[in-house]
This record gives sequence, structure tokens and C-alpha cells, in this order.
Amino acid sequence: MDQETLMTIAGYGKFFILLFVFIIFYGYAFSIYKRQKTGEKDFEKYSDLVLNDSIDATPLEKRDNSKEK
Amino acid sequence: MQSNAQLEYDYSVVKLFTFATILFGIIGMLVGVIIAFQLAFPELSNLAGEYGTFGRLRPLHTNGVAFGFTLSGIFATWYYVGQRTLKMSLKESKFLMTVAKLHFWLYFITILLAVVTLIMGYTTSKEYAELEWPLDLLIVVWWVLWGVAMFGMIGMRRERAIYVSVWYYMSSFLAVAMLFLFNNMEVPTMFWANGAPSSAMHSISMYAGTNDALVQWWYGHNAVAFVFTTPIIGMIYYFLPKESGQNVFSYKLSVLAFWGLMFVYLWAGGHHLIYSTVPDWMQTMGSAMSIVLILPSWGSAINMLLTMKGEWGQLQTSPLIKFMIMASTFYMLSTIEGPIQAIKSVNAIAHFTDWIPGHVHDGTLGWVGFMIMASLFHMAPRIFKKEIYSKSLMETQFWIQTVGIVLYFTSMWIAGITQGMMWRAYDEYGSLLYSFIDTVTVLHPYYTLRGIGGLFYLTGFLIFAYNMFKTATSGRVLDKEPANASPMAS
Amino acid sequence: MFHWLEQRPFFFAVMLFLTVAFAGFIEIIPDFAKASQPTVGTKPHTVLELAGRQVYIKDSCNACHSQLIRPFKSETDRYGMYSLSGEYAYDRPFLWGSKRTGPDLHRVGNYRTTEWHENHMMSPSDVVPGSIMPKYPHMFKNTADVATAYANANTQKQVFGVPYDKEGMPKLGSWEDAKAQALEDAKKVAADMKNQSVKDAVANGQVPEIVALIAYLNSLK
Repeated sequence: MDQETLMTIAGYGKFFILLFVFIIFYGYAFSIYKRQKTGEKDFEKYSDLVLNDSIDATPLEKRDNSKEK
Repeated sequence: MQSNAQLEYDYSVVKLFTFATILFGIIGMLVGVIIAFQLAFPELSNLAGEYGTFGRLRPLHTNGVAFGFTLSGIFATWYYVGQRTLKMSLKESKFLMTVAKLHFWLYFITILLAVVTLIMGYTTSKEYAELEWPLDLLIVVWWVLWGVAMFGMIGMRRERAIYVSVWYYMSSFLAVAMLFLFNNMEVPTMFWANGAPSSAMHSISMYAGTNDALVQWWYGHNAVAFVFTTPIIGMIYYFLPKESGQNVFSYKLSVLAFWGLMFVYLWAGGHHLIYSTVPDWMQTMGSAMSIVLILPSWGSAINMLLTMKGEWGQLQTSPLIKFMIMASTFYMLSTIEGPIQAIKSVNAIAHFTDWIPGHVHDGTLGWVGFMIMASLFHMAPRIFKKEIYSKSLMETQFWIQTVGIVLYFTSMWIAGITQGMMWRAYDEYGSLLYSFIDTVTVLHPYYTLRGIGGLFYLTGFLIFAYNMFKTATSGRVLDKEPANASPMAS
Repeated sequence: MFHWLEQRPFFFAVMLFLTVAFAGFIEIIPDFAKASQPTVGTKPHTVLELAGRQVYIKDSCNACHSQLIRPFKSETDRYGMYSLSGEYAYDRPFLWGSKRTGPDLHRVGNYRTTEWHENHMMSPSDVVPGSIMPKYPHMFKNTADVATAYANANTQKQVFGVPYDKEGMPKLGSWEDAKAQALEDAKKVAADMKNQSVKDAVANGQVPEIVALIAYLNSLK
């Protein structure tokens, strides 16, 4: 395979990867705004991680150490 | 682990890194001012024989401020922000505490060795990757230690959700690790010396010529991204809301800006090589992606400015907020300036001129410097449990440094464009209008002005150092940790 | 999906790494093979030139001088033919520079002489009034590190297959051969120089940094 074909393949590959990432990204953006709106999940509460950060403060979402990694 | 009332955050490592930030800041900026004046008054280059020439000192300046000042600022704030947003204390783990301490000491030794070896002329010549291979190996060790501390701390957290600042620190750790490893692939030549008494310090790059340039600027550009941008954004996402007591304007926007930035940033490296011998499509891609980069950059910056919505009065009362808002503004300025320079036709004029250092310093002095100093100011009352020594000194510092930055970038803009235009000027007969030396002598006033701007900034930094020192030693003792606005004596 | 990710640091880190990394792989890999082909007539540096190149790097000449002529008329008029990728095939590291505080040097060997460099390195502002370049008297006293230059060349030959010792290419041989060859090359440069202590040093079998540097600069064509 010569240089030319390699570059063409790389070019197409790049285009479709960009397109793919583009769709995922905007899909994600759409989904978080939608979930916020329908009240399924509140994203804005995470600001409290900063404002309420002393060590004996109650965690926003308490971590269950036994389950996840 | 149950949280108990006695448990406190442990700031001993934070204090060590804070000290390093100030120390390396003074060294790096001092050298910067010296080399700025060397360009205006070349006699200054020959005061210390071969060890004082511009060429020897320039890597010292760049490494000093980037890997001395900025990195220690990043580490200091990491061990602070990390503990607090994850709600875990280093006190809870002897292992992580040891790792963090070791991280500091190895780092500190590396930077000291870097100062010595660079002055002696041991350099690989690749910008921001000048250190020779034994030091590179040391860097790998403490970078890994930082990673162990980081993921260890995350593993021990009480809070399930990980705040966006921590994401930025993580991205910095991962990306710099990758970039650094690939760009510093080098072969020590002593192993093939064939009996010649060669230097043990010397190495050559794994890549040659154009490839080397490609990898270097892939590194050079993105090292800027992941040392000078992402961790600093991490800082502002924590310190600005905390100091002002405001919620982040939109957490959703901060999440989107994060992924956008992560995705786009690395594509833009090609803009350093426009009109060079790298393939055309890559140059164009570099240009285009640099422009797309405005979006996520401004996403974060605007998010920060809007965080202050309805609370702009704080800008008047707190110099600390001033620092952060100014930093955010300079971030916007330099992230629009960069893409402009990456447009091919602008780049034709701007490349190789003083406009480039001008652009870099908008970002580093205005954005990185201000943000790190503001962060340290915010941390001081909490880590030393003392009131900030002087508000008026802070005000003075703010204005001196702002004037310094303005002098710096205006003079370099004019210098860069003047130079770029003169290089390409033709007379009516079609021959070059200026000899090269004409384009050098014309810059003298701008170089002088730049040096003065730098001196202002350095003066401000010394005031900062003094203020911090007095805070730690003789500030009024606080009986309780302040919630938001940092207390400061007038 | 992302939310799941954001609470799992390990997978989060993996995802983050992929996002950040893949641009690099796409950008760099396809071009790597092509760019490393040398242009016809490009030869590896001799040991003396490499020693000079090390001096160039040691004093960070590349902080102020580029070695990259862009394809504009104003640049080709000033510095000569624009640079080609293959011309750099043996440059480890590359020395394009990023700032032209001084002029480009990629083809400086075409229009400057040994004598000019000798005077200029000793005191630039005497040769070019208004020059802001530092003086480099120490290069006349320091000895160039020919041994490391030899190790450098031999590493290139052994590890990267750079064609030393091939027909029509610079000879390398053993350390003794290379040393003798470098000294012989140095004598040719020193013959055009005026500084007596440099001439004496070369006659005594030493290679001052300035001689190696000039040999390197003269080779830039």
C-alpha cells in the first residue's frame, strides 16, 4: 500500500471519528439538559461539593464502600 | 471509616509545596527579568561568563516557572482541593502520606538539579523538555508518585461524586504522563561510546528531523494545555465559588466544557508548525482545531464570570476575587489570541516573532500566575490558621502586577508585528527593504518596556511572598476556619 | 453513560486518556514513515560537526536562531531555498527553533565564512553594529567534547542505522580513527582562523569549541 492510499484511509477515518465524537458529545449535552429539566437528575447540586467541604460535613452522595471500586 | 469529630485535613504537604511555589517563583521570574533586560542591553549577557548568557538562562527561566513555580502550585492546590472535595484526609493513611512527602522531596531535588544542569549547559534543546535523561527518569518517578497519591486519595473518598476540579487534575496527570514519555524518548549515547570517554549525561532523540519536530510540538503545545490550562481551570472551579460563596453558574456547562476541551486540545498542536515541512493537511487541521478550541475555553471562562452574577460587589471589597476575575479575563484574552495566531495568514507574520512570547505571557502571567497566587492566598488562612497579613499589600500587588502584564503584552504585540512586517517588506525595485539587523535595533524600546513590565510583575511577586511569609509568622490567629471570604487585616 | 463513568475513577481515567490520546496517534503515525526519508545528497554530520552541533545546543543557540526557511519570497530572498523535510533526516534532535531574535541559520554555510564567524563569535556587535547577541569568548577556551560527539554518531549508526561508513558517506570507524579524522578536519578550519591560541590548541591535538562550532555552521547549506 503506498503513501497516498494510507493518507486517504487516514483522512476518511478521521472524518468519521470526528463525526462519531460529535454525535456523542451533542447527544450527551442534550441528555444532561433534558434530565435536568425533567427532574430525573439534578446536576447543579454538585456545586455544593465546594461550598460544603469540611471533613465532618455530610457527603452529598454517601459512598457505599462495600460495593464499588 | 466513620467520620469522627477529631479528624482534620492534613496540610503539611500543602505547606511544603506552597513554600516551593514561592521559592521557584522568585527564581524563575528573576531569571525572566534578567533575560528580558539582556535583550534590551546585551552587555548584561556577559556578566557571568558562559553561565550568564541568554542561551543558558532562557531554559532556566522556562523550566523554572513552568516546572518549578506552576507545578508546585498545582501540587499544593491538588493536595488541598483533593482532600476537601473528596472529603478524605491524608491523616487517614500513613501510606499516602509517605507517598505525598516523597513526591515533594524528589520533586524538589529534581528542580534544584535542573537549575544546576541547565546552567552548566546540559540540555536536549527540545523546548520545555530540556532536561537530560537522568533527570527525566527522576521526573517519571515523582510523577508516578503523584498518580499513586491522587488515585489513592480518590479511592479513599467519602463522597461518591467526584467534583469537576478533580477531573481536571486527573486529566493533567494522565496527559502529561503520556506526552512526557513520548517526547522524551531518548537514547543515552554513553552505551555506544565504543571506548570513547564520552559524557554520561548526553542523549539523542529517538526521532529525527521533521518527526522530532512533530512530536516535540505535539508535546510542547499540549504540555502548555495540561500544565498551564487544565489544572488552573481546576483551581478556579474550586477557589472562585469557595471564596465568593456562590454556586458555580452552571455545573452542566462545566462538565461539557471539560469534555470539549479534552477532546479538542490535542488536535491543535500542528499550529506550531505552520509553513514548515510537516504535511499540509496537518497544518490546516492544526489551524482549524485551534479555532474550535475557543468554544470549550470560553465555556469555562464565561461560566466563571457568570458565577459572580449578582455578587459583583465582592470585586470591590475583596482583592482576592479581583485576582481570580482578572485571571479569568486573561484566560479569555489568551484563548482568543492563540487561535488568531494559528490562522495561517496571521501565523505567516506572527511566527518566530515576539508576539509569540507576548501571547505566552498573557496566559502565564495573567492567568496562571494570578490564579496560583490567588489560590495560595485563599489557602493561607486555612493551612496556617491565621488571618492574611495585609489587604492593602494585596491591593498594591494586584495593581502593580496588572500594569506589568499590560506593559508586557502591549510592547510584545507591537514588537512582534513590527518585526513580522519588516521581515517581509520590499522596496519598489523588488528587493528586501530592511537588513536583519534593522529589525533588531528597532525593537530596543519595546524590549526595554517589556523588561520594565517584567520587573513590575516580579516586584508584585516579592510583595506576595512577603505577605505570605508575614501571614504564616505573624498573622492574627483564627479560632475557626473561615467558610468563604478569606479574612484579611487591612 | 457519562454519569456512570464520573463516579468510577478507574474507567473515567481510561476514557479520559483515550479522548486525549487518540488525536496524537491519528496525527502523528501516518506521517512518520514518510518524513524520515533523506533528500538526495543529504549526508550525516561528521564527528567534528556533531561536536559543533553539541556546542550549538549547549549554549542554546536555537533559543534565538531558527533553522527553518519558510516558503515565502521574503524568506527565500533573505536566507536561500526553503527547507525540505528530507534535509533534516539526520538531525537528532531537530533544531528548528521557535523564535528569530537573530536570523535563520539553516543555510548560513552558503554566505558566511570561517573568518566571519571567528570575529563575530568573539564580539558580535563589532561585526554587526547594533547586534544584541552575547559575546562568546569562552568558546575559544573551552575544549569541544569530541568523545561525546563520537558516541553520538556511533549511537546513530548502531541504533538508528544512519549510514556512516557507507560509500560516499562520512567515515566513523573506531574511536581512534574518528578522533584523528576530527582533528584533521579541525586543522582545516583552524587554518582559516587568526586567533593564535586556537591555532596552538589545534596543533597540540585539541579541538576548541569555536572550531567545532564553525565546522558545524559551515556545513549548514
